[in-house]
Amino acid sequence: MKITILKRKKELKYGAVIASLLSILFGITIYLVIIGLFGVNLVEAINILGKSFISPTIMKDFLIIYVMGCGLLLSFKASLWNIGGEGQFYIAMIPGIVITLLLFNPETSSTTVPAFIVVLLVIITGSVVGAVWAAVAGTLKAFMNIDEVPVTLILNYIAYYLVNHLVSGPLKGKKTYGYLRTDEIPGIYRLNIILPITRTGNQFEEAVYSFLTQVSYYIALLVTAIAISVFTWWLFKYTKLGLYIKIMGSNPEYLYATGVNTKMLTLLIMALSGSIIGLSGSLYLLVEWGRIPYGIQSHTPGYGYLAILASWLSMLDHRLLPVSAYLVAGLRNTGLSIKIAGLGDTEQTLIILGSVLLGYSITRFIADYEVKIR
Amino acid sequence: MNTGTLRRVVLSINNISKTFPGGITAIEEINLDLYEGEIVALLGENGSGKSTLVKILYGVYTPDSGEIKILTGDKLSRVNFGNPVDAMKHGIILVNQTPQLIDKLSVAENIAITLSTLRSRDHSGFTSISETSKLLKEVSESTGIRVDPNEKAYNLTYSQKQFIELLRAIIVNAKIFLLDEALSYLPIAEKKRFYDILYSLKNSGKTVLLITHKIQEAFDLSDRIVILRKGRIVGVLETKNTTVDEVRRLMFGETNNKYIINNNWSNPEEEHVIEVEDLAVRDDHGREVLSNITFCVGKGEIAGIIGVAGSGQRELVESIVGLRKPIRGKITLAGVDVVRKGIKAVREAGVGYIPDQPLKQGIACDNSIVENIAIMFSSNPILINWDIVKEKAVEIVKNYNVQSKSIDSPVKTLSGGNIMKVIIGKELSYAKQALIACNPTRALDELSANNLVSVLKYKAHAEKLSVLIASEDIDEVLTISDAVYVLNSGRLIGPFQPSKVPRERIEELMVA
Ligand SMILES: Nc1ncnc2c1ncn2[C@@H]1O[C@H](COP(=O)(O)OP(=O)(O)OP(=O)(O)O)[C@@H](O)[C@H]1O
Ligand SMILES: [Mg+2]
Repeated sequence: MKITILKRKKELKYGAVIASLLSILFGITIYLVIIGLFGVNLVEAINILGKSFISPTIMKDFLIIYVMGCGLLLSFKASLWNIGGEGQFYIAMIPGIVITLLLFNPETSSTTVPAFIVVLLVIITGSVVGAVWAAVAGTLKAFMNIDEVPVTLILNYIAYYLVNHLVSGPLKGKKTYGYLRTDEIPGIYRLNIILPITRTGNQFEEAVYSFLTQVSYYIALLVTAIAISVFTWWLFKYTKLGLYIKIMGSNPEYLYATGVNTKMLTLLIMALSGSIIGLSGSLYLLVEWGRIPYGIQSHTPGYGYLAILASWLSMLDHRLLPVSAYLVAGLRNTGLSIKIAGLGDTEQTLIILGSVLLGYSITRFIADYEVKIR
Repeated sequence: MNTGTLRRVVLSINNISKTFPGGITAIEEINLDLYEGEIVALLGENGSGKSTLVKILYGVYTPDSGEIKILTGDKLSRVNFGNPVDAMKHGIILVNQTPQLIDKLSVAENIAITLSTLRSRDHSGFTSISETSKLLKEVSESTGIRVDPNEKAYNLTYSQKQFIELLRAIIVNAKIFLLDEALSYLPIAEKKRFYDILYSLKNSGKTVLLITHKIQEAFDLSDRIVILRKGRIVGVLETKNTTVDEVRRLMFGETNNKYIINNNWSNPEEEHVIEVEDLAVRDDHGREVLSNITFCVGKGEIAGIIGVAGSGQRELVESIVGLRKPIRGKITLAGVDVVRKGIKAVREAGVGYIPDQPLKQGIACDNSIVENIAIMFSSNPILINWDIVKEKAVEIVKNYNVQSKSIDSPVKTLSGGNIMKVIIGKELSYAKQALIACNPTRALDELSANNLVSVLKYKAHAEKLSVLIASEDIDEVLTISDAVYVLNSGRLIGPFQPSKVPRERIEELMVA
């Protein structure tokens, strides 16, 4: 008897999607088995898991991870490993604080510039700063052939340090009740739509309502995510740059031999990647935080890294990115809820993630290959 | 040949078929017996399934159906190879066009790795470098190929590497040698030595299965000729009982070469499109491989540069198109000062380029045919007009007879010759002023090669394209060129008029 493994002649229909879904199921099952063995109440755990994945609070994480994931995916597809999402995300908030609090603050100066212009300025400068931060690594890569991985990583720590330094120094707030952080940015620059709280007593209605509340609160993120998703799709489908990115990832030497300036391209791709992440950073400031706290790296779940995870989970396929971003966001929520419920530590979600990845490898294998025994 | 004794079958292929993902049937119901002590030539047009067949025999691909039997002891027994190591352990080895040596390691280290891999599966431990060196010395003496076991692989020329591949096969005690276009790029003198080794292998009872596109080579070397057409065996012939015409008919479905080439570059115009002056260039390892190179090519002229592999052609074409910075000298190409402006300006001026390493500089194998064409044929700086690009891709695929399922197929699913056709088609369609090419007919079957020669002549003589061809193939250069140069040890000799100088003289100059 001999077992042979052959690549399938015809791709299975919807193979990738089914593989993703099955692997999530697989991952969760393995997780439940493991925590079950440790004596955790499974009913409660399932309850938390289910709630975490359909909870409206997943919205913000999903949108941020998705937008950042798009930015990272651009560079990853070109084999440029921008793992500096964290740094680009935080550093991009600095101009937002300067613009809204120091330059155009209606509470301290008589500014006549319309609010939407200021907001636009915040977003644009945030994108530019994110782009510049990533372009530093891009320049070193393009012109001195220095590996972008350690550089982007180091730039994360420089960004943490720089932001913390500014927050505790020049940008330190005055009305912060003793907390070390910047002042709140003026309300007119905040991008949330806040729906009034209503209680109807009907569970379903309240769930829908709570969902709508989240949507409207994060409407700016939602609009951006849609815009970025359209942009990414358009980039890869219709533009020369999109094609350059793909070929940069498969054979840069050929690209160069056709007359493309691959050094400038490297720089451009890194900058574009950084600008999308910078954009998400400035939005996070306007939508969620409204100020920058001190010790910034401990105030978020590390979106820069979660987005890397989402991007890799999508197999660098932008069509699958929403699924993987949702998965990552859901798991992060699960982790929080598990902790709150006292079932264990947030790190538990790593078990789910690991088993999802394992499940993905297995289902993907079954989708791509057939095993024959003869 | 072992006449008199009854020759034994060493490898029996029964009903082998292989269909690739995507539904391309590469080979179908192949039945073939190989005997000990014979050289069999496997011929067939591009895409006919030759490489697929030998890769199955070497354990790279698994067949969908059928079985392979191998002589073990004195009976044929069935084998299933999961990978090349399995195949090697059964005495089968494949040498293809590209040497597989690891550049950073020495010759002995490279071979020791192979030996250790084979032995570790036998649990008989590792093979030391000194042991390997001893083995190398033995085969080196018996074959007459001189090698320094301690030489790093990157210091070897292409021919030397191919010889090492062959020595490796002999050292691991292979019984069946599969050669997939392994001789195609060898210089003439080296080829002869390779032939001699193959003969002596055969005389010692080994079996050689040789894939080649040079029909003459098959006649010179083989005992039998097997012809594949569209994945099926259409002829198994005794070489001495057949003719070139018969073979051609079976391969292509037609006998005579219908592409009759008329050489009519009559009026050399004054204008020079390619001008090279006192050029000196270094190779990848910092050695000065070219010096004092001066020549020019007129509008509509085809200049051919002949030289054995490693004599500096690669470095020459790379510096002419602006991919390699020269040490000194001046290059003007299609009005562009190449040394100052570089490849981008050269390409924008309408220069096509067929590189010496086509898979590195000429195409992105992971991308589709149409994507490869799109990056060169999209005039809009931002958007790609896919309608125009697709039209262009369809046109190229049709004109250059590329066999592929669709223009959206990844290039890596094409056969070697068809990949080359995509590169040629795309570069020739792109070239408006000049074409710089290295070994353009390599990997092409005879019909496609002839076809290319006539297209090149037409483009040059009728459409006034200036063409520079660097090649290791004397016949190619002599049939194609209006002016011939010889490159030897970094110096350029010529120009000669191909009709006026005897072929022997050129051969002399190449190796002198
Ligand atoms: N990995 C692959 N996936 C899909 N199709 C393939 C693959 N490899 C080969 N093919 C197809 O199988 C057919 C035979 O290819 P093969 O490489 O065996 O041809 P060949 O005779 O060696 O041609 P050439 O003379 O051009 O080298 C071709 O149509 C090719 O497109
Ligand atoms: Mg082949």
